[in-house]
Amino acid sequence: MESKTKRRGSNAGWLLILPLVLVLVPFFIVPIIGVVAASFVQSDGFGGIIPSFTLENYKGVFTSALTYQLYWATLKFSVVAWFFSLLIGFWIAYFLVFHVRSPLLALGLFLICTVPFWTSNIIRMISWIPLLGKEGLINSALIKTHVISQPLDVLLFSSLAVVIAYVHQLTIFMIVPIFNSMARIDKRTMEAARDAGASRFEIVRFIVLPLCKTGIALGSIFVVSIVMGDFFVVKVMSGGGSASVVGAFYEDIGVLQYPTAAASATILTIIVLLLVVAILRTVDIRKELTR
Amino acid sequence: MGRDTDKLGKRSVAKGQLPSRRQLLKGAAVVAGAAAGSSVIGAPVIWAQEIKDIELRHVGVSYSVVKAIGDQAAKDLGFKVTMQNVDTSAAINRFITQPNSVDIPDLEGWQAKLAAKRGVIQGINVKKIKEFDNFLPIFTKGELDGQKIPRQGISPYEAMYIEKADSTDLHEGVTEWATFLPQVYNADSIGYRPDLVDHPVTEWKDLLSPKYKGKAAILDVPAIGIMDAALCFESADLIKYGNKGNMTTKEIDFTIEKLIELKKSGHFRATWTTFDQSVQLMAAGEVVIQSMWSPAVAAVRVKQIPCVYAPVNKKGDKEGYRGWCNGLGLMKHLSGKKLEAAYEYINWYYTGWQGAFVSRYGYYSPVPSTAKKEMTPTEWAFWYEGKPAPEEIKDPYGVPMEKAGTVRDGGSFLERVKNISCWNTLMDEAAYMNKRWNDFKVA
Amino acid sequence: MTDHQLATANVEPVPNRRLRALAPSRGGRPWTFYVLATLFTLYVIALYGPMLCIYILSFQDVRGGLVFPMRGTSLHWFVDLFTQVRTGDVKGSFSRSIRLAIVVTIITVVISFMSGLAFRKRFAGDSVVFYLMIGSLVAPGLVLGIGVGLICNLLGIETSWYTTALGAQLSWTLPFGVLVMFAVMSRLNNAWDEAARDLGASTWQTTYLVIIPILAPGLVAVALFGFTLSYDEFTRTLLTAGSLNTLPLEIWSMTLNVTSPSLYALGTVTTLISFLIIGVCLGTIARMQKRRAAGPAAH
Repeated sequence: MESKTKRRGSNAGWLLILPLVLVLVPFFIVPIIGVVAASFVQSDGFGGIIPSFTLENYKGVFTSALTYQLYWATLKFSVVAWFFSLLIGFWIAYFLVFHVRSPLLALGLFLICTVPFWTSNIIRMISWIPLLGKEGLINSALIKTHVISQPLDVLLFSSLAVVIAYVHQLTIFMIVPIFNSMARIDKRTMEAARDAGASRFEIVRFIVLPLCKTGIALGSIFVVSIVMGDFFVVKVMSGGGSASVVGAFYEDIGVLQYPTAAASATILTIIVLLLVVAILRTVDIRKELTR
Repeated sequence: MGRDTDKLGKRSVAKGQLPSRRQLLKGAAVVAGAAAGSSVIGAPVIWAQEIKDIELRHVGVSYSVVKAIGDQAAKDLGFKVTMQNVDTSAAINRFITQPNSVDIPDLEGWQAKLAAKRGVIQGINVKKIKEFDNFLPIFTKGELDGQKIPRQGISPYEAMYIEKADSTDLHEGVTEWATFLPQVYNADSIGYRPDLVDHPVTEWKDLLSPKYKGKAAILDVPAIGIMDAALCFESADLIKYGNKGNMTTKEIDFTIEKLIELKKSGHFRATWTTFDQSVQLMAAGEVVIQSMWSPAVAAVRVKQIPCVYAPVNKKGDKEGYRGWCNGLGLMKHLSGKKLEAAYEYINWYYTGWQGAFVSRYGYYSPVPSTAKKEMTPTEWAFWYEGKPAPEEIKDPYGVPMEKAGTVRDGGSFLERVKNISCWNTLMDEAAYMNKRWNDFKVA
Repeated sequence: MTDHQLATANVEPVPNRRLRALAPSRGGRPWTFYVLATLFTLYVIALYGPMLCIYILSFQDVRGGLVFPMRGTSLHWFVDLFTQVRTGDVKGSFSRSIRLAIVVTIITVVISFMSGLAFRKRFAGDSVVFYLMIGSLVAPGLVLGIGVGLICNLLGIETSWYTTALGAQLSWTLPFGVLVMFAVMSRLNNAWDEAARDLGASTWQTTYLVIIPILAPGLVAVALFGFTLSYDEFTRTLLTAGSLNTLPLEIWSMTLNVTSPSLYALGTVTTLISFLIIGVCLGTIARMQKRRAAGPAAH
């Protein structure tokens, strides 16, 4: 009886996971094998390949100072974007879960936060210019109220603009998992702690935060993946002033330098994979699931 | 029932009397269908019936592949034309890695070279192109007005011809087979604000002048940006290039180092990435001098802000415009009826409507004689002859753009095109150049 | 008991009155409420900042550009949006993007749900599948797109927005969805499954009547992510969309030319529709709740 249910369970498991595998095979596994294979061949300069095994592409990536600068720049953006989206996202989720009394109102407020995302990301990217530009809304408002006399030009086409755009786009990816984690916290635990004399900050630090670890980890994975793999936010918002890893190999692809682009892509995949694994080690999501 | 005349004074057929031409064709087509294979029915009628279902997919950049043009072609020719816009990088990748998803690739000269090499296009038989003999000699002889067209970069003349229909290497000189046929081209230079710059600009080196520190910009496309930079440095006598369109690694290093130096000293306000960004930077006065494209200058002027496209005529070996040229290719997989339709489509481009349409962007047609027929005398005088506009000039969508009396920047067609000193290109050291351009960007 | 067990322990339902767990006994609100409410308001304002520019600038007349100062007032760009006079097929690509996003959302929710259920128990190769999924999340979309395009060309399959682009977008949204399901699934106590089965429910009934309602908020989160990720997806779709562009592709290629303010009109229209839909949904839920509350009392 025991083994029958176990076997049935494992077959059911395979059936249920089949659709996911069916998507992953043609749209991830096969292309990535192709990419890794392409990274080991030589380019003939015209988008074709010379069938030969070479480590030149990888050597080129590892020995060039540019690679490290690009990764450093992109990682910096990732960390800063992660930090601010976490900070803001955490407190927004906290507010929605613990301070808004009616669940319907919480849902309504949450949905209001999602409406801007129904307008395409790229349209919002374009609209940063009339907002942050020298003749934009913010500068005009600041000048009219005499807070500043000269328009701030650091608001647009700068690293600050890139971070603003990222945080704007990514906070929602933090809010949702953290909201989800917080919603499962039994409010009476917190009430009990309050009755026992804990301050509000201690409640947050010792009860809420540990129980939200999963949500925070998930949000972090999402934010890091999106920022490390992005190129047009940096391109558009920094006004060409900053480069990103993916941006660099977008240009390589534009001149059909596939092997070098493939090598860069493989390395990027491995690095971000390691980052995600590191996050997963701090919070073992799977263990929580298969308790 | 008498005949009516409609508002245009044309006579229209009263309802119920004579059938319309379309009805006639339809009826004839039915008969043709019934008598399929009979040699009694003339070819045009079967043709009209059969090509109705053909769809040509024309893929390319948004300034060259315009929906309005495709719609007009579809109207005039009877088959469906789908215009798809992608950016330059995605375009060449589509042509090379998914050739079956494109019918008419929109190719720049250097892209035609790559496409031919990879064997994804077929040679265009120039004998089937009705207006080929009327093409300007830039494309058929490599010269204009007796003067040879410079060969720095990849000029259209160099990229156009192959020996046989399936050759993969370019041929020097005119042959029967073309890789692509030009459909739109222009000469690019720098745009500036005449009200914020103290003198009329005629030399590239003004872009580097310390007077405009913090108020200059170039664009963020490596292959084009580096040529603009090269023109600036050569104009300032800092270096002499062997071939600006095909630099050696040493020349690339020099150019990039100089650019990094300028960037670190705060000379550039931005490297613009989108067309609208360039318009916005200029219109807001955030930059006073920058690399620009012709329609961007026009867009700034539509906002009633003065902006001039510098006439950087050649001075000896220095200066000169940067030329570019986009054209129509034929993918290798086209055959049979679809290939016929494709030739019809290409031929349609030289019948004048398209030439007139793109001229309102400031672009030129390879067959100005037919474009002239579809342009008003005012437009022709302004855009091609470089004369003061007799009346107001409108943009391609009817919005007023220039007042009467304005002269096109740079002057007449001949004056501008004869002063092209280099063409958009793909360098041998393109990968190296990309890498170094990224060094510039992270600096 | 561990913190976690304490926090998620199953106890008898709370009486039907509003929880005042954190409010001080006098019934008012703590000072932290005001701080956080201010933060929330500022956040919403910041979120809608660019949207505000979009709304205002969408009412320009035919001379309008993408930035201030505003030129004229008219509904020209709304008309243009629906009739496509200028460059760019905004209407067509928008309709494709929306349809694609809806399909991707539905498939993502279904497959994420099934995968979440699958991962509840260990099965052979579950680690492999898990890390492959993470790999799909982190791999740069650009090269995956090229890879897919190349293979389709080799096999003679035509790339199009509703087949290959759909699959490419799923390879991006599914990892998000499955990860969210992981977090949400730990709500489920295996005991409830067993209880349902003991009461005679079939597997299907258990799923439909027990599991799904409990996981509903999580499924909504997956749907939200699926929709927004698909709607904005660019790099993977760039080379797999075939001969018709989705909205991000169309707008991106428009940036090489004058970009039409009909984009802003689109933003305004989608916001209006979104608010309408939200209003209707919340209104319906509120009415259902009222009816349910009134229901037992009415009997």
